[in-house]
Amino acid sequence: MHMLSHAEASEKFIANQERTDWHDDTLWFVRSKRDKASKLLPEWEALREQASQIKEHMLSNLPQYLLEFEANAQANGVQVHWAKDAHEHNEIVYSIIQKHGDKALVKSKSMLTEECHLNAYLEQKGIDVVDTDLGERIVQFRKEVPSHIVLPAIHLKKEDVGETFHQHLGTPKGNKDPQFLTEAARIHLREKFLGAKVAITGVNFAVAETGEFVVCTNEGNADMGAHLSDVHIACMGIEKIIPKRQDLGVFLRLLARSATGQLITTYSSHFAKPRAGQEMHIVLVDNGRSRQLARNEFRNSLKCIRCAACFNTCPVYRRSGGHSYHQPVAGPIGSILAPNFDKKANVDLPFASTLCGSCSNVCPVKINIHEQLWFWRQDLMKEGLAPAGKVLGMKFMAWMMSSPKVFKLAGGIGRKVMTWFPFLVNNGMNPWYKQREMPEPPKQSFQEWYKSNRS
Amino acid sequence: MSSREEIIKALQEVKVPAKAYPGVFTAQVKGDDTLADFLHSMVVVSTTVIQVKEGADASPALDKHFPNMQRVRLDPLADGLSLADVDVLEIDGDFGVAENGAIWLDDSNLPHRVAPFICQHLVIYLSQKNLLPTLQEAYIRLGDKQTGFGVFLSGPSKTADIEQSLVIGAHGARSLVVVLTEC
Repeated sequence: MHMLSHAEASEKFIANQERTDWHDDTLWFVRSKRDKASKLLPEWEALREQASQIKEHMLSNLPQYLLEFEANAQANGVQVHWAKDAHEHNEIVYSIIQKHGDKALVKSKSMLTEECHLNAYLEQKGIDVVDTDLGERIVQFRKEVPSHIVLPAIHLKKEDVGETFHQHLGTPKGNKDPQFLTEAARIHLREKFLGAKVAITGVNFAVAETGEFVVCTNEGNADMGAHLSDVHIACMGIEKIIPKRQDLGVFLRLLARSATGQLITTYSSHFAKPRAGQEMHIVLVDNGRSRQLARNEFRNSLKCIRCAACFNTCPVYRRSGGHSYHQPVAGPIGSILAPNFDKKANVDLPFASTLCGSCSNVCPVKINIHEQLWFWRQDLMKEGLAPAGKVLGMKFMAWMMSSPKVFKLAGGIGRKVMTWFPFLVNNGMNPWYKQREMPEPPKQSFQEWYKSNRS
Repeated sequence: MSSREEIIKALQEVKVPAKAYPGVFTAQVKGDDTLADFLHSMVVVSTTVIQVKEGADASPALDKHFPNMQRVRLDPLADGLSLADVDVLEIDGDFGVAENGAIWLDDSNLPHRVAPFICQHLVIYLSQKNLLPTLQEAYIRLGDKQTGFGVFLSGPSKTADIEQSLVIGAHGARSLVVVLTEC
């Protein structure tokens, strides 16, 4: 199946003007809440700097911290597994489930398991995976994927959710009241929580010093799953390590404020030891992270704490929707992570940006996201992966703009063509004409104007 | 070679320029009035505060807040599942954080980890002298305390996953009342 490029998928997304505006406004509102929350802390910038330095320090000592974490987690009675890629991660999770002979499990939000396509893998093996985050459950019912890492169902309207719940949970047709629908999901998922023997959670932070890991939710679904299960499996990318417990005081102050403008998530749960009679597992996953660590320009993309502030602020994300990025992590950060997995399949993503830099400005761990987008463009062009039209266009531009004579001539021709034969540029063949009016051609070039007015 | 060894080897082969650990964060700005900040955060996270004098009985106020509901003070309950039917669960909180309304609970307050999540409504008793200005102070207070499980809990369970409409009472407790003892 042909995967739609970001531009092609965006075209479909913006076909509905009203919905596009709603999406744009809603995410901008979340961004505004982030601004308000951050400005209430005078030390906000110092916190960002601290968080950035802790993460950079961690990346420069990653193997040591991973081994320290492993030793401390094992001393706490937790079983630690290592997976070099997505497939091995899925096999490990499946083997744990198989040992307990269970056919159903509950899972709270984990972008890593999305990255590894764990649900599809387990379903193939006959396991019923129940996503328990409300937004994730909604998209799971609809056989979709999350369109946002913090707000998985942000592409949907309440009418859509009402219809989905009518089909899957038997709520009355036409009922679209969020309070009512949330209550229906609560009742439906409580039953799943009470029946599940195995629970999977993600990990927000894993502390090397103590071997504990922290999971943040507002709904309480990770805790309901983990504490009621006989087996808790926590899946994490190896970059989620932080050196010390006190560092949580920095990251938890930044995370929710950056994500949704909340002071902190309702629950910041610290798991260190399994409860009596419970098994606790941690799966540490590389899946390309060691490769990204070796890329000097892109290394610090691994500082990301998945707050999605860069999504909410991005003028392209807000007007193209998460699904147009065809990756589990969309938005600006997803666009610098994705080419590490597969350059060819994700060649469009670093170009899905205006390079305005807003993403870097809001990033709580100071990742230079917009610069990395630009670095990826250079890398992908050098490798000859960019679309032929773009390569040709860039070559022509470089040739034309490097010669003042040709530049002058081309400008003259351009102005005349636009004046006399406007249909030659105002047509669908010209990508600059899409969703835009071409400007009125000026009568003369700047150079000509300068000569006649200033000499 | 195991995957563990392979991953560690791959990471060790990458020469990342050394970056020093920045040390303890000391730039936090504390509010002038920790109690006022805490009470404000409680409003932000949709939590009711009942302030009582030390040694005073909060029952009349709780009776009024939860009319005709069964209240259970946590300790001897046998397993997590029976808590699902509890209307109102009462537990002790360790300390609270003024800047965000988070209250620390851990295995020493929670014989059953699922308790504060599975009950329908939650009451936490907290002493005013155990309020700290910021989360940084909270981690200093926590120090290297060993606990199997601990949680910073701020307000009742909530979600805004349907069109960004805030709904209180997702999977965890539907409401939170903090009984704050004056000192």
